[in-house]
Amino acid sequence: MSARALLADPALPVALALVAALLLVASERRRRPLSGSLGLLLVLVPCALVLARLDAAGWILAPLVTALVAAALARESQDPLPGECALKLVWVLGGAFALTAVGFALLALATGVTAPPEQWSVLQLGLSQRMVWVVALPLALLAGVVLLGGAPFHFWVADLFQGASAALAPLAVAALQGLGAMWLVRRLAGLEGFGDGAVLAGALLRTAAIAAFLAGAGTLLLQRRPERRVGTLASLQGGLALAALAISAGRGPLDTMVTAWLVPWAAHLALALSGGALLARLTPADPAAGAPGGHLFRRHPLSAFAGLYALFSLAGVPGTPGAALWLEIARGLATHGQSGLLIALALGWLAAFATVMRELREGFGAPTAVRPERSVPRPVRAALWVSGAGLAMLGVARLVLQ
Amino acid sequence: MRFLSHLVPGPRPAGGLLCAAGFALVLLPARFAPALGVELLAAGFWWWARASEEPAFQVPRWSWLRRPATALWLAAAIEMALPGPTAGFPVPPATLAFWSRVEAIAIVWAALELLAALPLARPFSDLPGPLIAHGAWLPALLPATGFLLLWRQAPRWLDVDEVREASAVLLLLTAALAALRAYGRRRWTAGLRWLVVFDGALAGVLLSSGAVPPWVAVVLWIGACGTHAYLLAAELGGAAPRRGPVMAMLWRMTSWITTAALGWPLLAVAGNLSPRRAVLTLVCGGIPIALASWVNVARLVEAPERRSLARPVSWLIPSRMTPAVLLGGVPLALASAWWVGFAPRPLFALLALVPAVLGGALGLLAVHPAEAGRGARAGRIAQHAARRLFRLVIGLERALVSGATRLVRVLATPLRDLHTGDAQEYVLFLVGVAVLAILLPLLR
Repeated sequence: MSARALLADPALPVALALVAALLLVASERRRRPLSGSLGLLLVLVPCALVLARLDAAGWILAPLVTALVAAALARESQDPLPGECALKLVWVLGGAFALTAVGFALLALATGVTAPPEQWSVLQLGLSQRMVWVVALPLALLAGVVLLGGAPFHFWVADLFQGASAALAPLAVAALQGLGAMWLVRRLAGLEGFGDGAVLAGALLRTAAIAAFLAGAGTLLLQRRPERRVGTLASLQGGLALAALAISAGRGPLDTMVTAWLVPWAAHLALALSGGALLARLTPADPAAGAPGGHLFRRHPLSAFAGLYALFSLAGVPGTPGAALWLEIARGLATHGQSGLLIALALGWLAAFATVMRELREGFGAPTAVRPERSVPRPVRAALWVSGAGLAMLGVARLVLQ
Repeated sequence: MRFLSHLVPGPRPAGGLLCAAGFALVLLPARFAPALGVELLAAGFWWWARASEEPAFQVPRWSWLRRPATALWLAAAIEMALPGPTAGFPVPPATLAFWSRVEAIAIVWAALELLAALPLARPFSDLPGPLIAHGAWLPALLPATGFLLLWRQAPRWLDVDEVREASAVLLLLTAALAALRAYGRRRWTAGLRWLVVFDGALAGVLLSSGAVPPWVAVVLWIGACGTHAYLLAAELGGAAPRRGPVMAMLWRMTSWITTAALGWPLLAVAGNLSPRRAVLTLVCGGIPIALASWVNVARLVEAPERRSLARPVSWLIPSRMTPAVLLGGVPLALASAWWVGFAPRPLFALLALVPAVLGGALGLLAVHPAEAGRGARAGRIAQHAARRLFRLVIGLERALVSGATRLVRVLATPLRDLHTGDAQEYVLFLVGVAVLAILLPLLR
């Protein structure tokens, strides 16, 4: 497989993310009944398939995957947290889908057609009431923005990382965020034919991206639980996708952006979240200054580095494949003279960078002579290695291409 | 995995390796090298701090070192994202100008913070390094890195006028405060740490003034900073430069001449400025130089010989050879500056020597007082006043910074509430929907 194909084709990174998730399912086999493991597989495999063929994903997949994830969470009866998380997911995403359906209906009523490109062409004629499409267009985009998890819709992502198992959360979040981005792509198709709509959609996406970066940066620095930090990093990735769409929306067909940026972004997200979420479970939460390091970091420092590499890539630390995704968007914003959004992106990136460096320092902590007796289970460490090695391969492929 | 623990060096060499690598990277011209260099320096201090006897104290104390590294990562990222039209990314000129300014601010921020020129972590030179037993000299690494950063990254910030002028003012203030603190401190090692800050700050002002080519400023800085760094390091190894009257005088002269040489071009070039700025430069630059010269001469107290019969040693020992090397750079640098066009007006060239000569002469008088008692008492009062003035300035700065921090905390409290993870966040969802779907479109 050539370096270019490795970067463009999401199959390998998504497959590795699925392998990492399956390793975790295997490691939990004593705690979870067989039916529970099979139930998880029924969610993980569709999520991976969605990510592998994201460019072909249709509208209906977003509510379906949401329902699957909520059902998987609701099955976890030993712990009340997943159930609460499922309830919240249904409230928030269900509400967003309902409001978006209202937006669709309003646009269909105003134009008499249901396909988005045709709707924009009709609206360009100026025969419909401005008030109707001005309210309907943002409502129609709402589900995509909420699925991407940018602030102020960022809480469900962090909740999922805290409430769901480390096997389920990364693939579920990556699939839902990827579907959110594709939702917006499908909705914005052909918008370049309707100038006023393109201006409004561009402004909405820019505002949503700025809010995602600024609120994400602020909350990230205040987060105490490592799992929620990973969730906020994922919501910053949602902001990144919003910024990518803000650059491209209304400027022509989005197909190139989807294949060149969005699909690799979602694949990278799945792999980086797999390592990051797992590492978060093994990192001490809010330790005192100068406290000894975490169990994993003291007993298996190399495995900890593999997990840290995934976390670094998620935050866009230079030298990781994730950094290239941030850089491409920054270049696009600079080329289009969007300094306001670029400032917000820079602040989000710096906050992410500072957070992962803090994670590294807190993880290793102060040296201690006491070596933990029990080792971290092999499948867990193998999952960290799978995600770290997959990202390293992506990084090498980028280097080769440069 | 156990074999790894044998491969990892102990905390002292590991921190040293990280710092050495960081120092080398700061000098490299690669895009991300300075950021990585300062990050490694911060990692070195963290490594030492976590392995110290009091990690709970030392780790937070040196955690500010990540701030300059972050500023440099931002600068490097800006350069990567905005490489200019030649790289195939046509960026609008207004955007390019704005981000070039941000890049210059980020670089100068990092360098100034390392040079103790920002009120955030200014008094770090009062503290010994994180390794209490070995590290009295460790904080001296930071101002040195700060100046090297200013020098190596000069093309990225010297062209931005407002950044250059603001940094010159901040560095001059830092030089004054550092000289004041060096004068006020009783311990020679603490005074030397502040003299290293003084050297870096003064060299930074020289760099931003453009009085001499950058490399001349660097050679003069190496002379002054090298002298103080050597003295500081030697204090941990028997204080050889202070043993015996000849050595003490040799190092006194070296320290005084190198400091005078570093300050002289800055004051001499005042003749080319408007009368008001010339007076300001002579006063604001002259007083710290005089004070630093006094400290250089008067505080280097001769240490008694430990042996009743001094052991005969060769002349070729580092303590005797180093002054020759450090002093040798001074005429070389000044002659080169003159060769490339540095020609101050004669009156100002002489005036510029006055602070250093005055400070040095008064320092010699303090070493060998004509009348014991009265002078010493006046000196103690002046030292006490210097300490109080420094504490007052630092106190004011701290009050301002803590006020600003408290304000940010108050403003950030809702952010914490935004992310509590409880079910009330559903209200936030509704607010988000209202703003995005109704308010924003209607406001347009």
